[in-house]
Amino acid sequence: MTVDVNANVANVANIDREENLDSGYKDDLLKIGKYTFKSRLIVGTGKYPDFKTMRDAIELSGAEIITVAVRRIDFNAGENMLSYIDQSKYTLLPNTAGCYTAEDAVNTLRLARELDVFKTSLVKLEVIGDKKTLYPNNEELIKAAKILVKEGFTVMPYMMDDPVAAKKLEDTGCPVVMPLASPIGSGLGIRNPYNLMIIKETVSIPVIVDAGVGTASDASKTMEIGVDGILMNTAIAAAKDPLKMALAMKYAVKAGRLAYLAGRMPMKLYAQASTSMEGIVF
Amino acid sequence: MRININEKEFELNESLTIQGLIDTLELDIRSAAVALNRAIIPKGRFSEVILKENDRIDLVTIVPGG
Repeated sequence: MTVDVNANVANVANIDREENLDSGYKDDLLKIGKYTFKSRLIVGTGKYPDFKTMRDAIELSGAEIITVAVRRIDFNAGENMLSYIDQSKYTLLPNTAGCYTAEDAVNTLRLARELDVFKTSLVKLEVIGDKKTLYPNNEELIKAAKILVKEGFTVMPYMMDDPVAAKKLEDTGCPVVMPLASPIGSGLGIRNPYNLMIIKETVSIPVIVDAGVGTASDASKTMEIGVDGILMNTAIAAAKDPLKMALAMKYAVKAGRLAYLAGRMPMKLYAQASTSMEGIVF
Repeated sequence: MRININEKEFELNESLTIQGLIDTLELDIRSAAVALNRAIIPKGRFSEVILKENDRIDLVTIVPGG
């Protein structure tokens, strides 16, 4: 079955209008430093079968921020991904994927700053500590964050789900922290929801869960915890149908956010009838 | 004159600035950044910096990533 992208985009636009009727939700914006976004879903651009699928999936996800990497130009490569990205529509977020030291991460972002495609000071800082798990090295991360904040970057650190490190990063001047749910590209969902809850309570800046979400229910559950957003890539790009999954994630993030704002009903052990017994005939 | 661009050796017949190199390679200056011997060169200096024998140049752009 194929997805009619234009029809989907039109449907999505209609749903957005309905949501806008709800004043309580319309003003629910994601603030990262001096920047404000309507979408709480940030998506990566990696691992798509082709650039066209990448472009359409990003469009359907409703994301306003998209992550990209900075690498040496491959002169034998075909098209540049930039021809598929509407730069007036999206905020491009350079990452430091593959950096294992604070120094490498800082230098990568200093180089990225020279690229005109990055129109904001927002950067995704990651300093990897282990090849197998791609777990972040929080110690190097904090070191790099200190330098970058001083140099005027708006640092979005991808971090281990450690509340102590989250506080340190906040104190360093990061306007957001991005703890993982589970390893990058694993699709395992949230391994430790309690740590994410504690991080959310510990810091007064937004918390964006970065990495680990596998499917729509993971995204909803993550948002229901009360975190402020999700960054994902593989869950959409490696789905059998990335376009449908992009839409699913858009709705899942919104549903989870709305459910959090709505406040769930208390759980009870026994049934409580939804229908009144008054006026019952038999 | 030999220079190294993105880990590959190139032979230059004439003296070139970084801007000259970018023009020769037909790169879009808006989506390219340059490091010369690992030091970042701001765009404003592309026309002043003349490449020398054994210079190592890194030309970078954006690629897909998460």
